[in-house]
Amino acid sequence: MHSRHDDSASRTSRPALLHPSSFILQHLALALALILLCQRAPAAPASDWESSLVYIEVTRKAYEVFQPWTPKSRTVQKNGLVIGAREILTTAEELSDRTLVRVQRGGRGKWWNAEVVWLDYHANLAVLTAKEDGFWPGLKPAAFITGKLPKEGLQIVRWRSGNLEARKAEFNQFLVEDARLSFFQHLQLEASTEMQAVGWAEPLVANGKVAGLATGQGGNNARFLPASFIEPILAARKAGKYPGLGFFPFTWTPVENPSTFKFLKLPGDPRGALVVDAPATPKVEPNLKPRDLILQVDGFDVDNQGYYRDPDYGQLIVENLGSRRKFAGDVVKMKIWRDGAQMTLDYRLPKLDYSVKLLAEQTFDQAPEYLVAGGLVLQPLNIPLLRGFGEDWKRRAPFRLAHYAGEPTSAERSGLVVLTSVLPDPYVVGYQDARFLVVDTVNGQKISRLADVQAALQTPQDGFHTIEFHRGDNLRRIVLDAGLMDAATKRILERYRIPVASHIAVK
Amino acid sequence: MKSICSLLAALALSSLTTLAADPEKAVVQIFTFAQEADWDEPWKFSQLRRSSGTGFIIKGRRIMTNAHVVSWARQLMVKRYQDPRPYLARVVFVAHDCDLALLEVEDSLFYDGVEPLEFGPLPKVRSTVVTYGYPAGGEQISYTRGVVSRIELQTYAHIGNRSLLGVQTDAAINPGNSGGPVIQDDKVIGVAFQGMPGLENAGFFIPAPVINHFLDDIKDGKYDGFPSAGIRTAPLQNAAYRRKLKLPDNDKGVRVDTILPGTPAEKVLRPDDVVLQVGNYPVGSDGSIVYEGNRMALAMAVQEAQHGQSMALKIWRDAKEQTVAVPVEVSSTDKVLGNQYDTPPRYFVYAGLVFTPISLDYLKTFGRGWSDTAGAELTYELFYRRQESPKTVRSEPIVLSTVLADGVNANFRTRGRALVDKINGIRIERLEDVIRAFESPSNGQHVVEFLPKNTFECLERESADKANANILKTYGIQKDRRL
Repeated sequence: MHSRHDDSASRTSRPALLHPSSFILQHLALALALILLCQRAPAAPASDWESSLVYIEVTRKAYEVFQPWTPKSRTVQKNGLVIGAREILTTAEELSDRTLVRVQRGGRGKWWNAEVVWLDYHANLAVLTAKEDGFWPGLKPAAFITGKLPKEGLQIVRWRSGNLEARKAEFNQFLVEDARLSFFQHLQLEASTEMQAVGWAEPLVANGKVAGLATGQGGNNARFLPASFIEPILAARKAGKYPGLGFFPFTWTPVENPSTFKFLKLPGDPRGALVVDAPATPKVEPNLKPRDLILQVDGFDVDNQGYYRDPDYGQLIVENLGSRRKFAGDVVKMKIWRDGAQMTLDYRLPKLDYSVKLLAEQTFDQAPEYLVAGGLVLQPLNIPLLRGFGEDWKRRAPFRLAHYAGEPTSAERSGLVVLTSVLPDPYVVGYQDARFLVVDTVNGQKISRLADVQAALQTPQDGFHTIEFHRGDNLRRIVLDAGLMDAATKRILERYRIPVASHIAVK
Repeated sequence: MKSICSLLAALALSSLTTLAADPEKAVVQIFTFAQEADWDEPWKFSQLRRSSGTGFIIKGRRIMTNAHVVSWARQLMVKRYQDPRPYLARVVFVAHDCDLALLEVEDSLFYDGVEPLEFGPLPKVRSTVVTYGYPAGGEQISYTRGVVSRIELQTYAHIGNRSLLGVQTDAAINPGNSGGPVIQDDKVIGVAFQGMPGLENAGFFIPAPVINHFLDDIKDGKYDGFPSAGIRTAPLQNAAYRRKLKLPDNDKGVRVDTILPGTPAEKVLRPDDVVLQVGNYPVGSDGSIVYEGNRMALAMAVQEAQHGQSMALKIWRDAKEQTVAVPVEVSSTDKVLGNQYDTPPRYFVYAGLVFTPISLDYLKTFGRGWSDTAGAELTYELFYRRQESPKTVRSEPIVLSTVLADGVNANFRTRGRALVDKINGIRIERLEDVIRAFESPSNGQHVVEFLPKNTFECLERESADKANANILKTYGIQKDRRL
């Protein structure tokens, strides 16, 4: 079953960034290898890219998931492409919570302060600029390949230890898979290369033009945002008409069973993707319904495996038609089979939004929310928090917490708050072992957000705070002395060296 | 050094003199030939497994041993001490929750000249015990000596989801010792039953209170099991909570946090009742009682009762003490949440579709990481729905465990391990509903719907009916159902 909630699709792993200093000893040997490889590559000489490719250094805040009051600093280096007047394109990854962005030209020398002027995490794209005039002379915009991407003559280029490194890339396939930073699926290009630690916005180039930007690598296979995905977004942005990406929030499944088509009363050959779930959020009107068969999208016939034949890229799953030169709010014309009859549906693409899910997929550019209330550490339950259990959080996180990731939002609950730990203090004696409990109510008020907790704590009942947790196999209820909470919180903040009792986003 | 060694020797001798002269004559070696059920393809059984354990003769011409020694047995043979002749035995009673079983040997010669062993009381911590058994690594009976290290509720690994009274000793208890007597002062004070990986010098035996409960239980000719109160308690040690409930700030009373849906306690107890006393045992604020000088969870007091009896609970409710009678019962849902034995799974096969109830044993067929994503929905259904959404619970959730490939189902995308929601529009509450649904009128097609994503598969009724017998034959399934 294909589903945008289904994370089973393989995902390229992001290699750890190798600090430039670690390359020094390898440099001479690598240089020789590079020369040899470059000689074999038939594409334009690497030197053509020196005036378009810049090096970017990002310093950003990172947070300890379960002690979110302690930010740490993290610095990464990646690549950028000059794409226009005072504009540098790179991927959005690692640009969240940034404190300093600098750019360097020619792969060495002076670093210039830069700032992000546009960014879209779902698309994994960002545009930077450097205000100082001295940075720009001699830099030339790179051109993107428009139309069909070539499969031959591909190279990956990047700055490495002050030199331009270019390596041949062998085209593997076009595929539609989960976005790097979002839960929708879009077209990606996979190519194999001997270049290591790829995934930091290195351009994939052919015939002097940009074919894609690298987003990750697994083994020798690197993944790229293809130019055909990037270029329409940049064009719309340039025209001031970029509303953000849209997506297909419904779930469909391939159908191979002729009996199922008979049941659906579809005459003729088996065809169409079978809708099995059309969630209530985000709201789409008119919407698909379970047991609809999607026969055609924007004029492309959909087969019974859920594939259509893309004129440029061959067989792709239907998900791609939600982002193929389409944006949020655009209408995708569908021909569907419903209740034994064919009908058309103007499906308006909802905008990608991390908060559309019960557990937000990402929380970029927000310091993690938390609330320390009398020793109780409360945090929103979201995917970044679950990632605190490790990359394989689906296995390592408490089962019940991880299971919420696949549950839908409801009218009464748009999010969840979890008691992640209790900081031991006389005030919370008896509760010190409570942890990873999802809060249901505080003083009788339903809780979806941390701000709800803060508000509910303003209305104690008979001098007590009563916190109820979701029904389950764990502790259900605790009671605290409301009058002593503030003093206890103050004492606990001092004892555990927590600078501020809370960070809560405005509701 | 010499004096210390002498002292130890003297102590050892004095302990030995308190033991029966030859209790080993009543200790038998048990040879089990077993075939376990296959929970994924439930008409199948595993290859024959041979294992051995220990047992001992008690009055009434019975042999006591562990349930896990005789589980899934196709044949049992026992050999007496220093006797080359094997005797056929059979299980008379088996109690998988407390890992005990009683066997009998029909051949009366078997009991000739053997004095049955008698049971003693719960031993004291630090007292010396001796185990008798036939552990792996030799043919002869083996004796090990140790002290009682601690006495508390232990998880019984055989069933997996029950904690009963257990005694830890540093006497070596190894595979093959299982079911052997632990003796003190001529009396059996326990049955050796499990070790704990990672703990050195720690073996566990089932003590007399558990054994006696088992023996009392079977007096009516059937075994019911250890009951539970149907409540989950939480320590009541926070001064604010105690004040809210108008309780003195002392160390007495544990709070009822949750009442398990469907238990008799629902009619008697309420959340935030405070249990002050269970039977004759005052309850501490951490939920413990003192049992025979050992502090342990109050579940121990509940486990003294038999299934269907009532426990007198002194509770604190609405700022007053009162006494209530709480019926205690063996939970029927506990069975599927623990390891099951001896009764092979229920199933129904139609047109190659194999339906069976979900259970822990079924989930374990997913492999070690059974609770991971692949089984997440099934795990939730089995372990969480009952507690979180009792109104939506099915009495026996059914899975399509596998699809036996045949032309009639070859195009199914769902190949198994899927939770069944409806068949031909009938909500599937239990296995019998599957049969009823397939037998109901269906417009020429069967429609099987799955959870949680509303996927479904269709089947041509006529072809399915025709293919059914052939599929059973092809896959060697003697009967299309076990109900």
